[in-house]
Amino acid sequence: MNVWLIAALALLPALLACGLLCFLSAALTGLVAMELASAVSVVELMLFSEGTHRQPFVDLALVLAVMGFVGLLAFARLMEGERGP
Amino acid sequence: MRSIAVDVLLFAGVALLLLCALGVLAMGSAFDRLHYASAAGWGAALIAVAILVRESLSLIADKALLSAAILVVCGPVLAHATARAGRIRERGAWNPEPPGRGSPEPAGREEETGS
Repeated sequence: MNVWLIAALALLPALLACGLLCFLSAALTGLVAMELASAVSVVELMLFSEGTHRQPFVDLALVLAVMGFVGLLAFARLMEGERGP
Repeated sequence: MRSIAVDVLLFAGVALLLLCALGVLAMGSAFDRLHYASAAGWGAALIAVAILVRESLSLIADKALLSAAILVVCGPVLAHATARAGRIRERGAWNPEPPGRGSPEPAGREEETGS
């Protein structure tokens, strides 16, 4: 257990808080919580990769950073509803 | 010296991310929460710099830095898209016409002007 894995463990409550908000709050608040959860997940993977010295995890972080952006942007556009351009 | 810098950067990044999560959890409206969520990219950047200081330019550090750069650049775009979605859901349009400029009058106002 090194400092990177301890940092990853310390960030888990942030992910739990985001999950709680997604389940309990309105749709727009859920989207905001998902944005934060996406960033925290990327950091978790970066920390796990550095903590275990396994390079594939940082590849996952990179893919998640790109796909999270695209997915959340699509969510935001869908949430504009039928009145959006 | 290098390990101290790594520890400070790592602690600052984790603290910033936890602060963002606390802000998102504690704020009242979705627009207030958005301010905290969009700052999370900088926490990732601090942690990526910590990895870079420890590893120099290794494969892990390069990709961590690239991931953090994507988060920092795309964060404001996402925040804007989310705020736009919230405003359109609240008001019906991104830039609704004020009453009296071509849009129909509100229901109560017509009766007042008619009498």
